[in-house]
Amino acid sequence: MLRKSFLLVISLLLIASFALGACAPAQPAAPAQPESPAQPESPAQPSTSGESAAPAGDEDVTIRWRTRPDNQEEINVYSNISQELDSKLDGMVLVYEPGGTEGSNYQDQLRTEVAAGTAPDVFWIPGTDIADFAERGLILNISELAAQTEGFDVDAFYPGPMYHLTYNPTNAQSGANSGALWGLPRDVSTFALYLNLDLIAEAGAPDPRELAANGEWDWDAFLDVAQKTHALGSDIYGYGANAWWGPYGVWLNAAGGGFFTADRNACGLDSAASLAGLEFQRSLYTEYGVAVPYGEDSEPPFRAGKVAMFQNGRWATPGIRTVEFEWDVVELPKGPSGSQGNWLFWGAYVINAKTANPEQAWALVQALTTAETQGKVAALGANIPSRVGQEAFDAFLTFTPPANNQAFLNGLADNPATEGPLWTGSWPQFDQIMGPAVQAVLTGSRSVEDFGATICEEANKVFTP
Amino acid sequence: MNIFKSYHLGTLIRNLAVYATLTFFALVMLFPFLYMLTTSFKTPADTFRYPPRMLPRDPASIEVAGFDRPLPLYYVTHNGQEREFALAQSNLRTGTFAPADNLQASVERMLADVRPTGGEGSQQTIIVNGKEEKLYDITLDGQVVPMVLISQTTVGEFIDPKNPSVKVYQNVRLSTPVEDITWHPENYSAVVELQGLDRALSNTALVTILVVLGQLATSVIGGYAFARLKFPGRDSIFVIYLGTIMIPFVMLIVPLYQLMVLIGWTNRLAALIIPWIFTAYGTFLMRQFFITVPKEIEEAAVLDGASRLQILTKIFIPASVPALATQATFTFLYAWNSFLWPLVIINVGNSENHVLTLALNVLRGRASDTPNLILAGAAIAIIPPLIVFILGQRFFVESVTSSGVKG
Amino acid sequence: MNDLKNPNTQTELILRLMPAWRILFFLIALAGIPVLWAQDFAAALKVVFSALLGVAALASLVSVPYLLHRDHKGRMISLVLDYLGLLFCLVGVLQVGQVFTGIDSLGAVFQRGLPFLGIVLVGYLFGAASELYPNDPQRQKNLRNTGKVVLILGFIAFLLAVNVFTGLFNFLTRLLQPTGLSMIFGATLFGLSLWAMWREASAQTFNAKTSHEQMISGWLFLSPNLLGFLIFFAGPLLLSFYFSFTNSDAFNPPQWIGVDNYARILNITIKPLNDFAQPARDVLDILVYDEVGRMKIGDGGILFGAQDKFFWLALRNTLTFALFAVPLSVIPALFLSNLLNMKLPGMKFFRAVYFMPSIAAIVGISLVWQWLYNATIGYINYFITVGVEFLNSGFGLALIDPKIQWTSNSGTALLSIIIMAAWQTMGFNTVLFLAGLQNIPGELYEAATVDGAGSWAKFWNITLPMLAPTTFFVVTTTTIQAMQVFEQIFILMNPPEGPGNSTISLVLYLYRSGFQNFQQGYASAIAWVLFIVIFGLTLLQFQRQRKSSIYEG
Repeated sequence: MLRKSFLLVISLLLIASFALGACAPAQPAAPAQPESPAQPESPAQPSTSGESAAPAGDEDVTIRWRTRPDNQEEINVYSNISQELDSKLDGMVLVYEPGGTEGSNYQDQLRTEVAAGTAPDVFWIPGTDIADFAERGLILNISELAAQTEGFDVDAFYPGPMYHLTYNPTNAQSGANSGALWGLPRDVSTFALYLNLDLIAEAGAPDPRELAANGEWDWDAFLDVAQKTHALGSDIYGYGANAWWGPYGVWLNAAGGGFFTADRNACGLDSAASLAGLEFQRSLYTEYGVAVPYGEDSEPPFRAGKVAMFQNGRWATPGIRTVEFEWDVVELPKGPSGSQGNWLFWGAYVINAKTANPEQAWALVQALTTAETQGKVAALGANIPSRVGQEAFDAFLTFTPPANNQAFLNGLADNPATEGPLWTGSWPQFDQIMGPAVQAVLTGSRSVEDFGATICEEANKVFTP
Repeated sequence: MNIFKSYHLGTLIRNLAVYATLTFFALVMLFPFLYMLTTSFKTPADTFRYPPRMLPRDPASIEVAGFDRPLPLYYVTHNGQEREFALAQSNLRTGTFAPADNLQASVERMLADVRPTGGEGSQQTIIVNGKEEKLYDITLDGQVVPMVLISQTTVGEFIDPKNPSVKVYQNVRLSTPVEDITWHPENYSAVVELQGLDRALSNTALVTILVVLGQLATSVIGGYAFARLKFPGRDSIFVIYLGTIMIPFVMLIVPLYQLMVLIGWTNRLAALIIPWIFTAYGTFLMRQFFITVPKEIEEAAVLDGASRLQILTKIFIPASVPALATQATFTFLYAWNSFLWPLVIINVGNSENHVLTLALNVLRGRASDTPNLILAGAAIAIIPPLIVFILGQRFFVESVTSSGVKG
Repeated sequence: MNDLKNPNTQTELILRLMPAWRILFFLIALAGIPVLWAQDFAAALKVVFSALLGVAALASLVSVPYLLHRDHKGRMISLVLDYLGLLFCLVGVLQVGQVFTGIDSLGAVFQRGLPFLGIVLVGYLFGAASELYPNDPQRQKNLRNTGKVVLILGFIAFLLAVNVFTGLFNFLTRLLQPTGLSMIFGATLFGLSLWAMWREASAQTFNAKTSHEQMISGWLFLSPNLLGFLIFFAGPLLLSFYFSFTNSDAFNPPQWIGVDNYARILNITIKPLNDFAQPARDVLDILVYDEVGRMKIGDGGILFGAQDKFFWLALRNTLTFALFAVPLSVIPALFLSNLLNMKLPGMKFFRAVYFMPSIAAIVGISLVWQWLYNATIGYINYFITVGVEFLNSGFGLALIDPKIQWTSNSGTALLSIIIMAAWQTMGFNTVLFLAGLQNIPGELYEAATVDGAGSWAKFWNITLPMLAPTTFFVVTTTTIQAMQVFEQIFILMNPPEGPGNSTISLVLYLYRSGFQNFQQGYASAIAWVLFIVIFGLTLLQFQRQRKSSIYEG
């Protein structure tokens, strides 16, 4: 070997050169995503304190914002929007950073970052998390900023999300004059069933789209289609859904039940209607065995052509557009209550409580929720605009495939339950109690009666009296 | 040493059994790696195939006169021979029909070829098993027979590519497609582009190199002080060091996180490096090695007027290359593979500061519908340490061995 | 004037200045305390820093009479204070020069430098290759020189690639501002005074003995390690202990709540059940306790309830995991190492293959296994299906393909983690055992052969007892690792706590409490309980090991 001390000298030199190299400014090298805004003068990295690279202009402030994208197509759209808004909005440089996905703990990561003071200025969070973020003081109450803004109207958005976004926990008021505004909804979505038309035709089952058009699309018809397609083979499933509160909640809603009591301050899982909904769903999994076993991700088998009806939101559309079989969507079947029991899913852009530039952040939140921006996101196919209006609907219908976009709007029109946080309790904790219990029922290791007997005693603990 | 030199049949059988067992376990150990590698070269559709296959394959297609697009090829049995036919049309509806009085005597017909008995709009019906069923006119042996529809399904029309008029109808889903083995190395560039894995790779290398060098430096001088310099308080400090060796890292994660928040190192690579270069374990390891170095050599050097730093660099470090290598090995693996601390400290949106494990964590959600890309990402994280391992195999294994003996 | 050139006079002059410098230091340190309080950061740290400054100031003042009396204590105090001051200023220089935060931007250019580091390595390997020709000095020399040239060229290219010169320039410009300059000034001052006291001449003046010199070098050599250890290990460890008695939440200042965290963790209740299916509310105070699990005894049974059900579920899962994963990775390893020790050709290859899983990143490995475990398209179920079909057709059995939902069934989720972890650690343990086996003297076996002992007898009577220390080491380290299982679960399971909380582990629960629910005080308490559990298990194994070695002896 070379002289040992030579090695030592090299190591020391290496450390020294690292230290010096660290002082060199980052080169405006190729950005991580080629689609992201690539102005040479913008900071090559989203620096929290803005000290590592020269700011773009003398007075421009850097505003970082984040969404939870589920795939590369969404990242591209949001990057482009960021680039466009960047040139439109004066006095700020926008940096879009895609967050993690649902599977990689998006909200939890955000909480850590807000606590550490490194979170973006503006970020999107799901509707269920608004209360938790608001009550912990992680997001800014922008009602005063909004009051000073000309032409801003809370009622331009869906009332369901706005109820929660204007809820003021100090006076338990909601609405335009409640004194609270936590953010603006990015978009809304409902569930639909993605259909593998090849499988349904091969099974000789009736076309669910026709049944829905004729008003015959109910739980019995659904079970019939599921059983007929499942009969094609033991590895073919009639129905598939993923394991979270959205998919199973639908069946409870459609039976006339729900997670909570009507005033959302107690557990409603043990009502007769809720249990009936759960019972029907359990039978899909255990008695009839027509569903992809609960807990398995249903998307891979659906894409592999092994699932006839896959329940998911509009956000699944971009990914499913690449499948090789014929597909379309249909609304959810109507339950005993006469309604689909669909959800109105939503999430909102909110402002980091620790942001240095609340005004610019508010300007960005508004720009991100204009009809124009929302149309662009919707065109991608991922979601439905959150502004109420026929124009938005008409535009949405043109974003095909799927041909039957109306199915999502039908879900929206059928009195869906609004996804929402618990202002009088903790939604994350409620979910942590409800999820495993429902899972036990749907995998057959616990009876519905047993579930009904104990679930609310446990779940009611998360509500503050 | 050679198994074939064994004269005894018993020994030979025993050795064969040993090799068989070892090979079995070797396959178990290797299989996930092989699966990772071959899957990373597949197309998404190929990864979702069942039954799974090891090698990446693409469906073959063929140009057929009269069709504007290449048609996919399938294996089809035609006149008792297995042939490669092209799928010209799919989703052709067929029905199984039977006379109402003899449901066993069923025939299959294309739905497009049958007419309702009595014509459209006034279709006749018949009661079968207490249920009203529609009647269809079916031509059977030249005669028109009204039959009921028992079941329906779909078939595809397969044609001979050389002679498109030769047609076979059968179920498409259950037919075996003709496939070629095709590797897709572009998956790797796709995943690098998707998740910035190149940056994550260089960040990981940077963090790993600095942690290894820094840790070696502090451990060597600390270990030397413990082993060779007498000063009051040394032994009690050493006992404290020893006592903390078995304290798991998770004990520190909350306070260390708050410390990083305080000094503003959250979301910084520095937080992945600086706290990790001071270790009780490494110091302990070096100290254990240094006390085995004979005192006489050192004393001779002192007589020659060498300073302590010179003694350390000229005598102790050269003598302890194996111990240094052991520690470098463990630190390398630890720094390269660590996940929980980066997860807590680095922003998920700050892909410029991601290390590989973090990038993989984001990737697994973002590319959940393309396992080929996820596994290409996993391969990028796993292969560099494996290469280092294969190059210095003997040395790696020996370092583990020595740690076990020392421990 | 000539007197000044006399070393003794020089020393004398410097030493006369020293007390003045110490008094100045005292004043500066005292003045630092109010400045510190005006800054905006956590009050707890202000207290700590003020205390440190106060102690330094006091020590500085105390050292003055000693210095005047030429007492060696004065020199020691002076050296320590100046050394710490120097370190502080040097770190300050690095901070002002943005070296720490700059590592991020180094990340951006490091990619370009990486290939050149490869060249440096190649150059080094050239040099190392010269060892292969001990009998050919000319060749050795050539290789060494080539190596050196390649190495140096590669290094220069690396320096250029990572913009060292721009870096140097930036570093210097950043220092040219009041803070930076004052840090440099401070560093110079401390350095000079340190040098003054360090000198041979000063040592003589203060009557330093060899033991004093050794003490100074000892502390000097240990100091980087010790300071880092205190700041990044011991300090946080104490902090963690303090947090465990507070309601710290990362947003608000922590409040002392006594043992409430521990009380909440340990608040459990065990109730008899008359009827096994009896609902929990009949026997539990349902407002306080949740049911953790029940055990059947005859018709009735026992019901376990706990205030924090998740902690006890996590403890149960973690212990179950360790209980199965440790034997599953240790016993096959023992078996394989004995086979590998048979000294047949090709054993090195097998050893290398077995070792591979323990090198690979757990995160990557878990992603691979996630797809192997997939219930519909994964290989593991496919192999089971093929096996079942083979048995059914070959032996006329009527086995049913189980179609296991590995990761989504609460019954098998933990099992899938166990299998993967055993797979990953088995090879590492095999190599450890192999090393232990190779240390067993061959004579023992020869003697046993003479006595007519069979292979089994040899294994039980020689191999196992002689391997006891290795076994102890392997079992202990594997257990400690198993108790901290996190990454596999976090990646493989979605959500990580698994179906029906069946894979929530202690570290996962700690992470969730500390960084998702932001009960950082509570998370610290969990950490300490985890530590006690690990410590207890290790102690238990230690006792067993001692016992077994007593029996042998």
